[in-house]
Amino acid sequence: MNELNYSPLTALLTFLGIVLLLFLLFRPGKGWFWLIQKNKESSRKVIIEDILKLLYHSENEEKSLNLVDITRTLKDPDDLIIDSINEMAEHELINLEGEHVKLTQAGSEYGLRIVRAHRLWEKFLAEKTGFAEADWHKIAEQKEHELSDADTDKLSARLGNPQFDPHGDPIPTNTGKMANVTGTLLSEMEVNSFGRIIHIKDKPDIVYRQILAENIHIGSHIRIVEKNANRVVFHSEGEAFVLAPIVAGNITVTELKKDVKVEENIARLSMLTEGETAEIIGISKEMRGESRRRLLDLGFVKGAKVSIELPNPLGEPKAFLIKGTSIALRNNQASKILILKD
Amino acid sequence: MNNVDNLINLSKDLRWQIGDDFHDNLAEGIYADAAEIVKDSVHKKDENKKLRLDATIDRIVTSRVWGFPIMFLILAVVLWLTIVGANYPSSMLATLLLDTVHPFLRSMAVAASFPAWLSGFLIDGVYLAVAWVIAVMLPPMAIFFPLFTLLEDFGYLPRVAFNLDYLFKKSGAHGKQALTMSMGFGCNAAGVVATRIIDSPRERLIAIITNNFSLCNGRWPTQILIATIFVGAVVPKAFSGIASLGAVIGIAVLGMAFMFFVSWGLSKTVLKGEVSTFNLELPPYRPPRFWKTIYTSLIDRTLIVLWRAIVFAAPAGAVIWLISNIHIGDLSIAAWSIDFLDPFGFLLGLNGVILLAYVVAIPANEIVIPTILMLTVMVTGISGGEGAGVMFELDSVTATGDILKAGGWTLLTAINLMLFSLLHNPCSTTIYTIYKETKSVKWTTIASILPVILGFIVTFLVAQIWRLF
Amino acid sequence: MEATPKSACEACPQFNAAGLKKLGVNTTEFDFVVALAGNPNTGKSTVFNAITGLRQHTGNWPGKTVTRAEGAFEYNEQKYKMVDLPGTYSLLSTSEDEEVARNFLLFGQPSVTIIVVDASRLERNLNLVLQVLEITDRAVLCLNLMDEAKRNNLEIDTRTLARDLGIPVVPTSARFNKGIPELIQTISDLANGRIVCKPHRIKNIPKNIESAVQKLSTEIEKEFPNIPNSRWLAFRLLEGDSHVIEMLRKGELIEELQ
Repeated sequence: MNELNYSPLTALLTFLGIVLLLFLLFRPGKGWFWLIQKNKESSRKVIIEDILKLLYHSENEEKSLNLVDITRTLKDPDDLIIDSINEMAEHELINLEGEHVKLTQAGSEYGLRIVRAHRLWEKFLAEKTGFAEADWHKIAEQKEHELSDADTDKLSARLGNPQFDPHGDPIPTNTGKMANVTGTLLSEMEVNSFGRIIHIKDKPDIVYRQILAENIHIGSHIRIVEKNANRVVFHSEGEAFVLAPIVAGNITVTELKKDVKVEENIARLSMLTEGETAEIIGISKEMRGESRRRLLDLGFVKGAKVSIELPNPLGEPKAFLIKGTSIALRNNQASKILILKD
Repeated sequence: MNNVDNLINLSKDLRWQIGDDFHDNLAEGIYADAAEIVKDSVHKKDENKKLRLDATIDRIVTSRVWGFPIMFLILAVVLWLTIVGANYPSSMLATLLLDTVHPFLRSMAVAASFPAWLSGFLIDGVYLAVAWVIAVMLPPMAIFFPLFTLLEDFGYLPRVAFNLDYLFKKSGAHGKQALTMSMGFGCNAAGVVATRIIDSPRERLIAIITNNFSLCNGRWPTQILIATIFVGAVVPKAFSGIASLGAVIGIAVLGMAFMFFVSWGLSKTVLKGEVSTFNLELPPYRPPRFWKTIYTSLIDRTLIVLWRAIVFAAPAGAVIWLISNIHIGDLSIAAWSIDFLDPFGFLLGLNGVILLAYVVAIPANEIVIPTILMLTVMVTGISGGEGAGVMFELDSVTATGDILKAGGWTLLTAINLMLFSLLHNPCSTTIYTIYKETKSVKWTTIASILPVILGFIVTFLVAQIWRLF
Repeated sequence: MEATPKSACEACPQFNAAGLKKLGVNTTEFDFVVALAGNPNTGKSTVFNAITGLRQHTGNWPGKTVTRAEGAFEYNEQKYKMVDLPGTYSLLSTSEDEEVARNFLLFGQPSVTIIVVDASRLERNLNLVLQVLEITDRAVLCLNLMDEAKRNNLEIDTRTLARDLGIPVVPTSARFNKGIPELIQTISDLANGRIVCKPHRIKNIPKNIESAVQKLSTEIEKEFPNIPNSRWLAFRLLEGDSHVIEMLRKGELIEELQ
């Protein structure tokens, strides 16, 4: 390089240009590179599988869909969707009955396979990876199209052939068997009735994120305190929750008989203060996989006595005295351990 | 083997029947058994929960007021003891290995009528590099590791992790990374090995990849030397000591800032999906057994790391000698490479000599300065040094400065060298250790390339902005 | 479990040399292989050093000994190889440390296993002890850090403890070399079949799980009559341990366990 021609300003600008280009190309989620990749992926197969899944779910809810419903629900270009539907009809995956689109036997089985792959993926993401709960659905939406039947079986075996995905939805077996989920919507529960949350719908995204942010999770015992047109109030694990009825409608509960003993005074370990002692009731179902096992191995089991051993200068982690040893836990862990204060 | 398949299928069916709670139930059952057994056989004579001394120490070292000052004080004392304390044995070793044994070996080679290329290759290349690494590396490590191990055995270090975890959590890392990072101040390879104490896969990878941002023992002397020559000179004499010290500390703190920043970036991008768990046991304080600890930390940490460094330094010494003595046309390979690297070096506010020195001195940061001096003398043709391919260092700081200034060095070159010394690829010992610990080419590559890219970007920006004003 | 005394040769490493060799243990020059298990922070490596005279470094960390440390000692003209397993809280999870320890106990079938526990934190430590006793039936409990337990005003009835656990219990303070000769004597007695253990088996398991475990372990015993720890294998299969399932499929498991 000739040092006479060199100017630091040009060098800086060139550098900024390159950085800008890289940013535009690889910006997480919206970079051109990713968009091009995604475009390639949204091939015919993916659209067909998405349509099958959509039809499968709506037929389960005994709704029937027409062409307009489908094009409106899926985000892909309309002409592609129409093409795909024609192709599906050719392959006898669907029947066109006037306006309505119906699944054939083969189509229904195919749809079930995709549902199985999707739910297994969500289970996998929950148990074996560190992805955040809010991201599971999105990742599973992509991955479900990449698994062959053999891969799906392998994934299922690796997870110990689970019955339910982390949202509480049943996972179909490879022969199409599926456990039943029967429950009441939270919005339809009577005041003062007890229940256990068994399912949380992960769609629409906005509502789901709101439920996650409230720290409501599957397995929690609840008691309905108040119900009217504007809100549903319930107590769970030592906290009061207030939800709009439309949000509560996304949560399914099995009602518990009155004689089942429901601990009303349950609190979370994160709410313990110095000087108090408590007994551990259990670990919330929200704590999964390796993290859950670790806590059990460390002695955070039902019946163990626990107290705060050492507060932290920065707030967390706090050290808890459990079975004779101080173990430090972060707040997000302590908030998933249920206790009964002495 | 049909029966085996039946067995497996039976276990699958049973697992399906039991449901998801098997592990919970088993863990609870075992602890229930344990509680019964203990009730039978353990009796407590009175109810004082914990040794009072332990509780008092814990209250002090984790207190809101004293926790952090105590921590920084201890770290400062350990580093000061290491850096200052290592000077004396280091210079003694240097006198012995470089000033006495090296000439002796040369004269032996002459007496045995070795051809010049052979004695140059073996004695000036291989021997000198190894001797250098031992002289510079051994004393600080022999001081740092025992001190660190004593703190560890006493039980203080888990409390440091406890105090700092909140900060590390913010960047997606584990509190124990505070310790592996401090260990990195001694030696990055040892720091990488120490990440074994982090049992969460994601946080451990973060700690491994970012360990290089801890300024290791091999780089402290470079920082101090360059800061003394160039930074100390721009302020009035009375303040030169403080200014150069401030510059070195500034670089170390900048390293920590990069550590947090890169940890955060990694946990948000490439490492997003790795499993992450947290637990930290605060063991009771136990008085360490002084001599035993010193003995074992020397054997376990110091000598192992030193041996690895020697294994890598020997071939590097050979390469350094060869590139300076093999000629293509009328220039040595070193001179060709320097010419080639010069424009690139200029863009980064460095020069070809520095870049070449960093390429050939991958095995050990300790030999960067001697290599730079040798190459500078060689390309500028000024008097001094001991000949092509023979690394050297001068006792006098001013004389060293004169050589570097003759090589065209400015304050910018010095600052950027200090930055680049912080932000470049880990030494080959560390790279090898990272591979052994992660057993993954991907993570080893990322850990090696990422810092050097950052180094290029930072020095480039500093150079351009410097020249603008 | 059967309680018939094992002949000396059944306990010597040649008996399961293949399994040990696969785990990288040189068995040819030794009469017995002794494994050392225990929680982190129990002074496990201090016990190791006290017995072998080796100076293995220890620290207040779990996961310190990720790779196994090995040492040796001689007693009554018999040679013992000692293998220091990683310190873990449990053997039920999937961390690398636990895998190493679990597989060594299961497939290495050491002649004797020393389980080191912190006497002041017995309840917590028993979690691991009870798991180890599901895998092996030649074990000794090393009740370490007795000096600290005394300072904590704890009194431990070692006889009741030994009776409940069904294995010998030796109190030690390895830091001060107290109890180490007794420990070595007990190791030798176990290795030579002079002491026979009747290890405790986990009792407090919900009925549905216990019946599943029994069903499965009877099937395993039917298939492989000589297996010493069918109950533990049943636990692992119910847990879905892919390593064990894989070995079972390939037939390697049986090869190594018999």
